[in-house]
Parts: sequence; C-alpha cells; structure tokens
Amino acid sequence: MPDAILNAAALRRSYRSGDRVIEVLRGAALTVAPGESVGIRGESGSGKTTLLNLLAGLDASEGGEIGWAGARVTGLSRNALAGLRARFLGMVFQAYYLIPELDALANVLMARRMLGLVDTAERDRAWTLLVRVGLAERTHHLPSQLSGGECQRVAIARALMNQPRVILADEPTGNLDEHTGDAVIDVLLGTCAEHGTALVLVTHNPQHAAKCDRQLRLHDGVLKEI
Amino acid sequence: MPWYLYLALKQLFPSGRRVAFFTLASIAGVMLGVAVLIIVLSVMNGFGDEIREKIIETNGHVRVENGGIMVDQDAVMARIRGLPGVAAVAPYAQGLVMLQAGNRPSFPFIRGIDVGREQGVVPLAKFLLVGRVEDLDDDSVFLGSELAASLGARVGQNVDVYSPLLLERLKKDEVLLPRQLRVAGIFSTGWNQIDSNTVICSLRLMQDLYGLGAGVHGVSVRLHPGFDSDEFAAKLNALFDGSDHAVSWIESNRDFLFVLQLEKNMLFFLLLFIVLVAAFAITSSLLIAVVRKTREIGLLGALGGKPRQVAACFCFQGFFIGVVGTALGIGFAVTALTFRNEVVHTFARLTQSEAALLRFYQFSNLPLSYSVHDFVLIVTSSVVIATLAGLLPAWRAARLKPVEALRSE
Repeated sequence: MPDAILNAAALRRSYRSGDRVIEVLRGAALTVAPGESVGIRGESGSGKTTLLNLLAGLDASEGGEIGWAGARVTGLSRNALAGLRARFLGMVFQAYYLIPELDALANVLMARRMLGLVDTAERDRAWTLLVRVGLAERTHHLPSQLSGGECQRVAIARALMNQPRVILADEPTGNLDEHTGDAVIDVLLGTCAEHGTALVLVTHNPQHAAKCDRQLRLHDGVLKEI
Repeated sequence: MPWYLYLALKQLFPSGRRVAFFTLASIAGVMLGVAVLIIVLSVMNGFGDEIREKIIETNGHVRVENGGIMVDQDAVMARIRGLPGVAAVAPYAQGLVMLQAGNRPSFPFIRGIDVGREQGVVPLAKFLLVGRVEDLDDDSVFLGSELAASLGARVGQNVDVYSPLLLERLKKDEVLLPRQLRVAGIFSTGWNQIDSNTVICSLRLMQDLYGLGAGVHGVSVRLHPGFDSDEFAAKLNALFDGSDHAVSWIESNRDFLFVLQLEKNMLFFLLLFIVLVAAFAITSSLLIAVVRKTREIGLLGALGGKPRQVAACFCFQGFFIGVVGTALGIGFAVTALTFRNEVVHTFARLTQSEAALLRFYQFSNLPLSYSVHDFVLIVTSSVVIATLAGLLPAWRAARLKPVEALRSE
C-alpha cells in the first residue's frame, strides 16, 4: 500500500523463558492507511503489546521491517527514533502513565515540551483538547485527584497534542469499568476521526474493536483479518 | 525551558504540595555543610589574621641581625630608612636574664629598646596595662602581665636582674652585684608566649647588662601597609654585602604559619564530609526516585525523550539542590557570623565561661575574616559534589530502556 501511514512486514520477535524460546511474533504484517482505525484483538500473551512496542520503535524486532509514512525506521538509533516518535506517534497505555507531579494541562503539554518550547497557542490547544475529552473543569487537577476514566482522557489528549499521524493505544480501557471504557473509546475514536489520525487499538473487548474501520486478530504470531 | 529542566523542577517542587520533603531535606543538608564550612573557616581566618597581626605588632615586619653584635646600626638604619615602604626602624638588643622578685626567681627574655624609635615599630603604649611609655628609664623595666602575675610583682616594686655578664665576671674573680630595677609598667600583648616571658628595658640598660658598649643585636623594621615583607627582606639581603642578614616575620615564623594553614586545611576537609554526607543522601533519594519512577521514565522515552535528556533531568536536580543549598548556606553563615559575638556572649553567660574565654583566648569576641578564596572553594566544592550526587541516578535512568521500564511492576 504506497500511501500507508504505518506499515509492518514479516515482524519476528521471541522471548527467552529459561531454556525455552517463545516465538511471539512469527512474521506479523500490518498496513494502516491515513486516518484509518484498526482494532487488534487476541488472547492474553498473544503478543499484542509486543507488536505495538515494535510499531512504536520502543523495542527492536528480530526480523521484518517497519515503515512510518513510507520511511523505513527499522535499525534507526534510539536517539533518532525518539526524535521521530515525538512527532509521528501518540501512545495511550492501559495504565495511563501520567506524571504525578503535573496537573492535567501540564501532562498534556508535556508531549509538546518534548519538541521544544511551549507558547500560548500550544497552551490553548492543550486546553481545547482537554475540553474535547470532557475535562474542561479538571485541567488543573493532579492525576491523584482524577478518576481512572479521567486519567485515560488526559492520556488521550496528550497523545493527540503533537498532531501525530498515528495513535497506538494499548488496551486503553483495561483498567476501566464497562461504562467508562465505552465512553473513553468513543472519545478516542471520535478525536482521532476529527484530527484525521490513524489509530491502532489493541483491545480484548470485541465491541470496542468492532467500532474500528478494520478488525484484526493476532494469533500464532501473525495478524489475520476478522 | 527544556522539558527535562521543567520536569526536574516539578519533581523538586511538585504542584499542589506546599513542602517537598526530599527537596527540603537535601537542600538543608547542603546548606548546613556550607554554613559550617564558612563559619569555621572564617573564624579560623580571623584567628590567623589576629595572630599574624600580633606577630607583626610585637616584632615588626623585618629584622636585620648579623648573628652577633652590630656596631654600625646607625649606618644600617640610615640605609634602610632610605628605602621605599619603610615606616620606621628601631634598634634592639635582647637576651636572657635571671629576674628575682622577692624570693621568686624567673628566667625571662629581656629586650632593650630605644623608646623613642621603638614606638614606630611596636605600638608599646597600646600594650601597656599599667604605666606610661615615658616612665621607662635606665633603672626600670616593663614586665609582661603573666610574668608579673607569676612573680607577684607590682608597679613601683623593685626586682633584681642577673645578666650573663655576671657569670663572665665571676670567671675572672670579679663580683658584680645584680641590678636592682623598678617595675615601671606592666604590658599585655595578648600573646601568651610574650606576656609570660618578656621583660622590656631601655636599650642603654640592656647594653649595660650585656656589656655591648654602643652595639646592638639588630634592628627591626616596620613597613607601610601593602609592602611585601619577604620581598623587602630579599631586597635588603641583596643590598647588604656583609654579615648583616634580613629576615621577614613570615620567614622567622614559617613553621608556625604552616601549622596554622595545615590546621585550616584539615578543618576544611573534615567539614567537607558534611557536604559529602548530604550528597550521599541526595544520591540515595534520587536513586529511590529512579526506581519509583521507572515507568514514568519509560513514558518519557515513549513520548520522545532521549536518554541524555532523561539523565539531565536527574542530574539537574542534584545541581539545583547544590546551588540553592549553597546559597542558603552562605546566607545562614553570614547571618550567624554577623551575630557571632551575641551568640558567644549568651552562651558564655549561660555556661558562666566568659572568664575562661578571656583567660585562654585573650578575647571573648570571635575574630572574623572572610576570604574570597575560601568562598570560591566552598561554593565550587559543594555544587560539584551535589551535581555528582545526581550523576549515578541520572546514569541509571538513562540506561533504562523504555519498553522494559514501561513493563516494570
């Protein structure tokens, strides 16, 4: 797919557990178009998080290639990848990973600070994003003063702050109750659609995956269309 | 502000909390170390300056001797007086005598001075507790305060003085009676070695006691402020081609001054351990923070943070603690030193030790002298040590791989 925003081919990754070598990914391949949302399901331990880590350049694959907006990123140094990642990717994690010393607004702005100085326009943008995810009244609250669902909304706003081309979300509703989880997924899909951002959503929840443009299942180390 | 400095400040002073205990405790550690270093070294400098001042006040800056009797002292003094930087020149003769007051004997050092000229070199009037300078004639002496106390001698009382000349004459079967001299004054320089063991008399009397004729043992020189004593002594030695030899007060007290400096250096290194202990506290706190924030460090990597930036975040915390702790330490030390005498007097009053202070240290006010060199050394050491304290945690944080850090429990 020449206009793919994210593509991975023949990804391989294994882990050693004692004397055993567990092959988690055995040639997984994925292509995501700009603005497309892809839901990935799979059993626990099937390698969904490993796949996302490889796609984000946080981990190195043992085989295969990854491309961001058509540019090959496999083999780039940790520093080079860090610089590219801040502009190209947004990440949402199951455990939110907000910085406890910063309030909601500062957590969102942290993504922008990675790219340089923050000005008023960016503060306004962070505030707008928080309003969009329903946290207009909570911008100056610390993570410890927010509920799980609110924390995840802050994480979504942070992931969108740098206007990334792709968001990788790793079980973003895993720590939330069903109702809150549904609301968070709606916010995530809605904001990605508004910003034209592609989304790779790893989830156990079939209903959440079904809300994506495409659904894939990771099984035996390869991705298959559902 | 770069994100790593911003985050470092936020970790030191988290939003929504009035007091960051780790930050305050670390800053307090560095502050105390720096304050104690400045207080102790400044007081030590004050002691040192006072001792140096006393040495100069009681001996002059430079002495010229020839190892025996100098007979051309007027010519020597005239040559010295013509040199730039000379404030005063005075001849002297000195030696040992036996002194008896009542039935109490003593073997003090006696110094014969030209009263008129000596005052340009040694501020004798300043040291006199009882009596006046002009009371010193050829039949009287001034006694050091401690010596007078040990002999039980008072002003107006007579003392017997036996000089080595008596022994010389005795060898030739001649008998010389001891000189009976009146105590005309009692002086105190604050320099125990002098006050307990020195008698001052007129130069003519000393020449008579020692059979020097018109000769002297040497001349002492007082320089104007700003002139280097060692350089001046070297210039004199270049000028004198004979047996006359000039020695500066620094040269003649070199061992003592070395011990003073050594004592100060030892104190600096010992007290620096307070800063080192504070630095270890910073290291351990930051290491705990790195372990506690492992997943946050992973997040920073996921957001696009580079390893060296993550390291800078933790290293800056050590640096910041060092700078703030040092600044507060200087402020605390200067304040404490400003009110040092009030503190000492209050403490002395409470412990009823004011008299002991005066007796052993000759003062109850703490001397003080700030040294720019000491300040630079203390500030540099404490900031560098505190920054180094942040290096190990920074290195550990930078080594964490984001994917492993995010996975950690």
